[in-house]
Amino acid sequence: MTGVVWLLRRFVASVAIIFAVVTLVFILIHVAPGDPCVGSEEGGTQDPVMCPLLTRQFGLDQPLHVRYGRYLLQLLHGNLGYSFSLHRPVSGALAETIPFTLQLAGVALLIDFLLGLGLGIYQALRVNRLPDVVLSNVTLFVYSLPTFWLALVLLLLFAEKVKLFPLGGPSDPILCPVIDSAYCLADRIWHLVLPAFTLGLVGAAGTARFQRAAMLEVAQQDFVRTARAKGLSERGVVLQHQLRNALLSFITRFGLTLPFLLTGAVLIETIFAWPGMGRLAVNAILTRDHALVTATALIASTLVVSGNLLADILIGIADPRVRVPADGGPETSLVPA
Amino acid sequence: MLSAMPRRLRLPLSISLAALVVVALGACERRGGCTGSYCGTLIDAAIGEPGTLLPPSTEEVVARDIEEQLFLKLADVGMSTNTVGDEDFQPLLAQRWEWDGPLTLVFHIDPRARWQDGPRVTATDVSFTFDAYNDSAVASPYRPQLKRIASVTPRDSLTAVFRFRERYPEMFYDAVYHMRILPAHLLRPVPRDQWKTAPFGRAPVGDGPYRFVRWQAAQSVELVADSTFFLGRPAIRRLIWRFTPDLGVAVSQVIADQADVREQIVTPENRERLRAAQQIALSPYRGNVYAFLSFNLRADGDTAMPNPIFADREVRRALGMAIDRASLVRSTLGELGKVPPGPMSSLLWIWDPEIRQLPFDTAQAARILNARGWRDHDGDGIRDRAGQPLAFHILVPTTSVLRKQYARLLQEEYRAIGVRVDIDEVENSVVGQRVGTGHYDTAILSRANDPSPSSGISQTWTRAGFGGSNFGRYGNPEFDRLVDRAIAAASRDEARRLWRNAMDLINADAPAVFLYSLENMAAIHNRVDNVQLRPDSWAALLRTWRIPSSRLIDRDRVER
Repeated sequence: MTGVVWLLRRFVASVAIIFAVVTLVFILIHVAPGDPCVGSEEGGTQDPVMCPLLTRQFGLDQPLHVRYGRYLLQLLHGNLGYSFSLHRPVSGALAETIPFTLQLAGVALLIDFLLGLGLGIYQALRVNRLPDVVLSNVTLFVYSLPTFWLALVLLLLFAEKVKLFPLGGPSDPILCPVIDSAYCLADRIWHLVLPAFTLGLVGAAGTARFQRAAMLEVAQQDFVRTARAKGLSERGVVLQHQLRNALLSFITRFGLTLPFLLTGAVLIETIFAWPGMGRLAVNAILTRDHALVTATALIASTLVVSGNLLADILIGIADPRVRVPADGGPETSLVPA
Repeated sequence: MLSAMPRRLRLPLSISLAALVVVALGACERRGGCTGSYCGTLIDAAIGEPGTLLPPSTEEVVARDIEEQLFLKLADVGMSTNTVGDEDFQPLLAQRWEWDGPLTLVFHIDPRARWQDGPRVTATDVSFTFDAYNDSAVASPYRPQLKRIASVTPRDSLTAVFRFRERYPEMFYDAVYHMRILPAHLLRPVPRDQWKTAPFGRAPVGDGPYRFVRWQAAQSVELVADSTFFLGRPAIRRLIWRFTPDLGVAVSQVIADQADVREQIVTPENRERLRAAQQIALSPYRGNVYAFLSFNLRADGDTAMPNPIFADREVRRALGMAIDRASLVRSTLGELGKVPPGPMSSLLWIWDPEIRQLPFDTAQAARILNARGWRDHDGDGIRDRAGQPLAFHILVPTTSVLRKQYARLLQEEYRAIGVRVDIDEVENSVVGQRVGTGHYDTAILSRANDPSPSSGISQTWTRAGFGGSNFGRYGNPEFDRLVDRAIAAASRDEARRLWRNAMDLINADAPAVFLYSLENMAAIHNRVDNVQLRPDSWAALLRTWRIPSSRLIDRDRVER
């Protein structure tokens, strides 16, 4: 019962956070300078008849609180609004782009964790030896690289010069406009390699450093010493005791990585012409497409909050030391036993 | 084999092998079977994506390029881009035409023309199209260009009659250039106020040389040649517009052989990168964009009050003379730019280097400013008058590298004559809002011309553009009169003379400093033959391009 209450509390808190983010984004985008009706100066074709019509149609002539009230009402009915830059409902545009962002972020997450975890463990087992020192410096270097710069360099090297990978887009426009065969699935993965690797590599460098530190911290614990004293093999000590306990902080990092992946995807999707939600959001901001900006913020915050909620649940499951008092008091934090 | 490996190596090796298989699969293109003269796939590395492919509702360049292949005009301008009279126009949907009196133009539609879903193209389609373009519910940006056409009516199924309100040299141009004929049988049932969102706009049916195949949102649009096209089967079988938000990446796609065309390369850096690629040919053609430093002649945010600096014609002239426009173009654009002799791009036939322009003369500029009372009274290096420094802001969009670069160069040149300039870099939509409401001192703005000088110059530089595109509110009745007379001139020579007088006058008034006109350069794969780039629309003659069978590459042969 306590667990259910705890879960319910976390769920309500998550909804409140999403609500706060959406409210803030709604207010910011509506008070920001720039008029969706005017657009850019280059067109110079503001129609004195059409602008007021569009303004009325989208309710832009109403006070902010009225617009916000209408927006919430629409949202409660599952209506995300209408995009005036795309000439279509926001939900349709999001439905097309979210799968691409999830593919990119999912593969990047996989690269981030597999590579980062592997490197972190490898370094921890060879602490202060040459491989550890070299990898520590390399991971620090990679972690400090701006993602967009790394993307451009990888694009230049592996797509333009070596021609090993495609230069942008999610698939071959001639052979695989849709994924209808194993060949086209491979083609999609081939197109995913550079953007996902760019996004995942920087994260992996951070994960490696994080995991190395966690492994070393656990290695100092009494239970590890006891395991060794009991005569367990080094492999058994590392895999069954050290790594399993160090994974708890790894789960926490999972929750922290999601926002990084989604914000990173904005740049990566633009550079690699990946048709995801990040690219959609950038265009929406530039065109002052209020409904689309608010909807992308809603989806992004929901993904991030859900990820964190999932991480909290996983920690609760994985670590018996984390318990919630039955009296509803503060949760016990993760502390060494 | 894996079983022979040490256990600790098995997992990493398996992952590596799987990755290699995937990469190898992805890297191999399937060999196809198309051979002969009508194969060929042309991929355009396009910047941006259309909102819809319904011609009256679109303004984006990329939408216009695609629509060129799907929907025909009655006739089109020739390579000369002469818009006066009808002698340089090429027949398309109209087989021929004749004048029935000074205000009546009769088009005879080619009886072979058909919509791609079967029905014949008729005069009813032409009158329906005119009606749609003029309907405020459709809100077509081309509507103002059609205001001097009184009516379009069918005389019989293949004869459309245009009646004009007045006689002027570009009557024919107005009749044919702005409208692409639409299928009445498919669009009549769609409410006009829903055209922008109509499914037709995302899966159009046209009468042009290519048929629509698919539109992958934020990825690509694919067209396939209509082998029954009545003006001749297009030689290139498949056209793909591949949408890429970044110009540098689009250029890289051409260099890496993943696209065949980038129609505008914009910067000297891109030109150098492309010159190093063996398979690419660079083709220059006249550009249609010019940029200028617009002076706001009214007070910041108050159109009723004169601007304390820029309302003074002599001060504007001095600020124009202080800029070495030729050096700026050389250093920023090289051969991809020219100094415009007025508010025009080199696309316009009125481009004339003999038009009188203000000279680059900083000494004269300084003398004028001194004479107008703008001197450095307090010795701080900045001129001032009655305690007010000669200082202003330049507004530029953050998205334009070139214009930001220009702003910094202008800042430096003005500093040399004692004028302080601050640069406001803001988003393009904010630039649009601020110049639209008059909340600016100066701004580096750009304009794209269509082939006729009539509409663009009127809208941006005459009093007719107040509240519209004439953001700086330059208004000189004599200039307006000259423009009106040039538009109505009886002959091309007379029009040219009047346009030149108008340009002399606007240069003397200096409502802006006309900084650069972009020259276009297209990068095209050299297996493509018979490339013709019409300056106002590079894609207008795509149906005549071909890829000889001896130069086909894998993607040309692919059958799907």
